[in-house]
Amino acid sequence: MDTDLLSDTFVDLADTMVADFDIIDFLHLLTDRTVRLLGASAAGVVLADPRGGMRVAAASSEEARLVELFQLQYDQGPCLDCYRTGRPVTATDLTGPDQRWPRFAQAAVQAGFRAVEALPMRLRDQVIGALNLFGAEPGPFETADLRIAQALADVATIGLLHERNVRRSETVAEQLQAALNSRVVIEQAKGKLAERLGIDMDRAFTMLRDYARNSNQHLTDVARDFVTGGTADFPPPAPRRPHR
Amino acid sequence: MTNSRAQAMWGQVAAHAAAHGRRVSVADVCAVAVSSAQLGGAWLAAARGSDPDFVMCVTDLVGEQLAELQLTTGEGPCRDVLASAAPVLAADLGDAESVRRWPGFTPAARRLGAGAVFAFPLTVGAIRAGVLGLYRGSPGPLPDKHLGDLLILADAATVMLIGSAHGDGETEDGSWLDGQARDLALHRAEIDQATGMLTVQLGVSAGEAYVRLRAYAYSQDRRLADVAGDIVARRLRLPRDRDPGGGP
Repeated sequence: MDTDLLSDTFVDLADTMVADFDIIDFLHLLTDRTVRLLGASAAGVVLADPRGGMRVAAASSEEARLVELFQLQYDQGPCLDCYRTGRPVTATDLTGPDQRWPRFAQAAVQAGFRAVEALPMRLRDQVIGALNLFGAEPGPFETADLRIAQALADVATIGLLHERNVRRSETVAEQLQAALNSRVVIEQAKGKLAERLGIDMDRAFTMLRDYARNSNQHLTDVARDFVTGGTADFPPPAPRRPHR
Repeated sequence: MTNSRAQAMWGQVAAHAAAHGRRVSVADVCAVAVSSAQLGGAWLAAARGSDPDFVMCVTDLVGEQLAELQLTTGEGPCRDVLASAAPVLAADLGDAESVRRWPGFTPAARRLGAGAVFAFPLTVGAIRAGVLGLYRGSPGPLPDKHLGDLLILADAATVMLIGSAHGDGETEDGSWLDGQARDLALHRAEIDQATGMLTVQLGVSAGEAYVRLRAYAYSQDRRLADVAGDIVARRLRLPRDRDPGGGP
């Protein structure tokens, strides 16, 4: 465990929450740091949608996003069980026989994952989603690591719901829909930027996020302005350090 | 799970239109929203600029008055939803929060007989089409099941509004909605990315790009997710073959 990074992560998450912040940027910070801190290969966040089912809100990699989607598509997997029960769900070896979620296990193994841990995102008695850790090797995650991951998930839940008074159940629904719509805006902006510059989606995301951070704006606002044509001179031409 | 529910709601919308001997429209969405969520009435306003100021349909007199009230006072749940792109669920117009947020709108709305107002944004990411507003005479929260149904109906109205704004209504008969429901639920990211890419390829607004994407899938009898996937993988480019008069 990199204790400096752990401290930095909680400081960064707290800093973000004290200031006015962008929820999708915040969830990406969460998945990136979960991977770096806990030795997971990938991490993802899924949120419940009152329309039925769940939606992927953030993932540390494209593989993780696809595996999350696969769970939602086939309506089976640890993150769905975790959401439904409100309790952590573990699968330590996805290659063995007698898999609990055979189709999910197959897709996860194909994507390069052998173990998964799903942690609930809950506020009091309401479960709003799950944080999922994927491991490249079979075997459980360390207990100490999982406690930290659950703490990160708890902080993320509070961050997601904090802006207004969460005693009203209406507010939780409003906040979740705002987050899901932000995701849509950002995907549209990624597509536009990727097409304009001939780059891939991950690179487009990094550029949008860096631009938002460097100009002290919300990622969602930058993305919306860019899609609607309000930011005519974006992106800046200078190349940036590639991420991942 | 996601599918069957969306299909059931869209089926109700199509059935409502058929019962009235007409093509599916946002009026059918409003009517089904009121009946399925046991509300008093609904209105739907299209956004031509940043405000939802073009009232397209109302289900009753109170709904019409509430829609107008928000235009005249310049405040209210419907004006707030487009800014946040999230629903505004004012379950009790008698509470202090509602009075604080909308000091002009709230007392007047209560005099009109509204105890609760629920407003849903009709948006797809950066595409802002309008607002669906609903009221109930008695205050009280919206049950989760009704919230889900109304979100699905708002999605249907959004698609209709975006289509009609770009003069491409030929597929708006309800049947295509069934097939695209699953794709929209599960392949959101690719569809949204493809929409963004098409704004550049076709030199059109996001709203028109979204319409072109869906119309192309429909005309080729292909799944929306597959077409979007091909565009994102750069295996497919849509031709600039149309008169660009439909949008900016």
